[in-house]
Amino acid sequence: MNNKTKENKLFDEYLNNKQLPRQGFGNAFNYFSKLTPTKKRFLTKTRDSIIRSMGVTFRVYDNNKLIDRDWPLDLMPRIIKEKEWIEVKDGLIQRIKAVNLFIHDVYHKQEFLNKNPVLKSLILESPNYLKECSGIIPKNKIWANISGTDLIRDHRGNFFVLEDNLRVPSGVAYMLENRNVMKKVVTDLFNKYQVSPVDDYTSQLYTCLSNASYSKEKNKTIVILSPGVFNSAYFEHAYLAQQMGVDLVESSDLFLSKDNYVCLKTINGQKKVDVIYRRVNDNFLDPEVWEKDSVLGVPGIIKSWKEKKIAIVNAPGSGVADDKAVYAFVPKMIEFFLGEKSKLKQVKTYLCAFEKDKQYVLENISKLVLKPVNESGGYGILIGPNSTKKELSQYKLKIQSNPRNFVAQPLIKLSTTPTLIKTSIQPRHIDLRPFILSGNKTFVTNGGLTRVALKKGSTIVNSSQGGGSKDTWIVN
Amino acid sequence: MLSSIAEKTYWLSRYIERIENTSRLINVNSDLLLDIPHDESNDLKHLIKITGHFDDFKKSNSKENVFFFLIEDEKNPSSIKYSIEMAKMNSRYLLTMLPKSAWEQFNNLYSDFNNAAVKRNSEDLYQIIRNSQRFFAIISDGMQRNDVFNFIKLGRFIERADMLSRIIEDQILRKETHVNKYYQNLQWSSVLRSINGYESFKTINKENLNQEVVLGFMIMEKLFPRSLKYCVDKLIEVQKFLPQSTNIKKITKSLLKNLEKNNVYKYDKKILKHLDNFQFGLIKLDKEINERFFSY
Repeated sequence: MNNKTKENKLFDEYLNNKQLPRQGFGNAFNYFSKLTPTKKRFLTKTRDSIIRSMGVTFRVYDNNKLIDRDWPLDLMPRIIKEKEWIEVKDGLIQRIKAVNLFIHDVYHKQEFLNKNPVLKSLILESPNYLKECSGIIPKNKIWANISGTDLIRDHRGNFFVLEDNLRVPSGVAYMLENRNVMKKVVTDLFNKYQVSPVDDYTSQLYTCLSNASYSKEKNKTIVILSPGVFNSAYFEHAYLAQQMGVDLVESSDLFLSKDNYVCLKTINGQKKVDVIYRRVNDNFLDPEVWEKDSVLGVPGIIKSWKEKKIAIVNAPGSGVADDKAVYAFVPKMIEFFLGEKSKLKQVKTYLCAFEKDKQYVLENISKLVLKPVNESGGYGILIGPNSTKKELSQYKLKIQSNPRNFVAQPLIKLSTTPTLIKTSIQPRHIDLRPFILSGNKTFVTNGGLTRVALKKGSTIVNSSQGGGSKDTWIVN
Repeated sequence: MLSSIAEKTYWLSRYIERIENTSRLINVNSDLLLDIPHDESNDLKHLIKITGHFDDFKKSNSKENVFFFLIEDEKNPSSIKYSIEMAKMNSRYLLTMLPKSAWEQFNNLYSDFNNAAVKRNSEDLYQIIRNSQRFFAIISDGMQRNDVFNFIKLGRFIERADMLSRIIEDQILRKETHVNKYYQNLQWSSVLRSINGYESFKTINKENLNQEVVLGFMIMEKLFPRSLKYCVDKLIEVQKFLPQSTNIKKITKSLLKNLEKNNVYKYDKKILKHLDNFQFGLIKLDKEINERFFSY
């Protein structure tokens, strides 16, 4: 009985609390629950061989050795109704608009910061705040052209924003390839739903990058700058370059001309570049400005950027709004810059930089999720309710020695969705990362990348830590 | 085309050609061992001379040691293993540049080699040869004639010419150690097999198989894809599709001249001198390609 009430507190996206499929989910649920174990094995085998032959991999370091793993895709789609999605989409567009205005404000007048002195002091100390970017005006005043916002659903099924990723969000190639694999493996299930397509993303991305250019030339030279083949997201860099028909480059392919244009080295000589979609972090971009030893960047590129001779996407300095402490202020930003109420909910966040919040966090740590401010990929997170006393007290010490570095949130019970585990169907926790492109227009992907924690009870969805993925279906 | 991509393409192609050539060379010579009386057989060490890095081979010259060094020794830059790893490294950058089927074929080559339990038997080597051939077949048959294609061709024929000239050189030097003329001719026929040319040779020269005719075939037979002449013709041809370079033109022209002058197949010393110059020309060509296209 006790167990059951506990379970009832979770929201399953397919099944209601009587364990029956919700309206619109019957077709998908029955499709899988009626499969014999043999047929399930057959489908997963087909999936594996397609993924292998398409070469969809991700890269991990295991004992210092680089390993390409086949991309994990669960065959049961994550389904969201279009009506619901349209609201989320509007909320995302509103949010990214406000965030871009905020970043611009940080590097110009700082009006919002002046109204929020604690935030101001946090920002000015933040490693993500790059003073060298002050006064720069990117095209259309858009700093974060490409963002990936992590969404979750709580125990009531409400969408919440968990995190804004504004630096170099990854995962979109997997979203696209998931759909391609699904079309081949569960073809007949597509006939039962009207699923919104996702594959115009790369042409939208091209337009978005082209919009960011300062150059008036009609045919712009756009490149993707990758840290290199050993980067965990290299598959995605190569995939996007190929799908857009642009060059995938590394720092050694680029140099600064005498008149400060960024140029490519080609077999026909040098060629001027208009837009760089960089997948290299800010501090490695220009050894003349930031990390002196960086070999991933282009010496002088920031000079060229300041002279409006090259567009860098996302603009350096955008990460200032990526900070988990800044997250807490987004609803206020939306009111300040747009005069609107935030359409999307977000998780209550305690900033340990505030004395009051810190006290609350230290007293209630066993109920909270603790996150370091400047980490991503799920690293350094402490989930209070799942931790031992010793872990909690060690973490408390960390907070006390550097409160600014930590935020805390109540534990949200992530929604679950049925997932194929070998030949059985079991609920697993999921999140969602839609991608938003801001150029002359704002574009949101239909759905996004659904990540799923494959371990029973786990909420860690990162692929580097045993997470998998699902194709996300926005259905009519 | 990006310079870096051109460079990686060029080297990928050279390494795959090298993998194929080395595998065939080992296979043919280990067959030959069975035919030659043991006192005549000398040893297989000369294969290491052909592929280079002779000084790094420190072990006794048992068949086992020589084969390990040539096939599996990661530390030997002329081993098949080394070439396969280098090809793999270059290929990582070419994911989006090669036809998908060529990319997959290269991955087959790589995994077949690394998954083979024993790498030294003739069937394993034959599998490597087949895999390399399939890779180039996909390129020749289905690839767009773009710059990637041109650099594959460039790398392939430079590598092939280099290996060919080394094989000829080795055979001439080696025959001096053999008294018996009968075994010398047996060796020449195995040389032909090691360049996959025995059957083609026979369609042209049915009666004779001796140094003069074999060299004539290996150096100047313009219709046989593994003759020096054919390689140089291809190097001249591919330049029409690449950005102009007078230096590269000059060097390839001098290679052609070298072949035309190397027409007296009786005098070993002269042949060797010409071959020396030819190889020097190839090194110059490689250097010039590097300077013109890759790292200006």
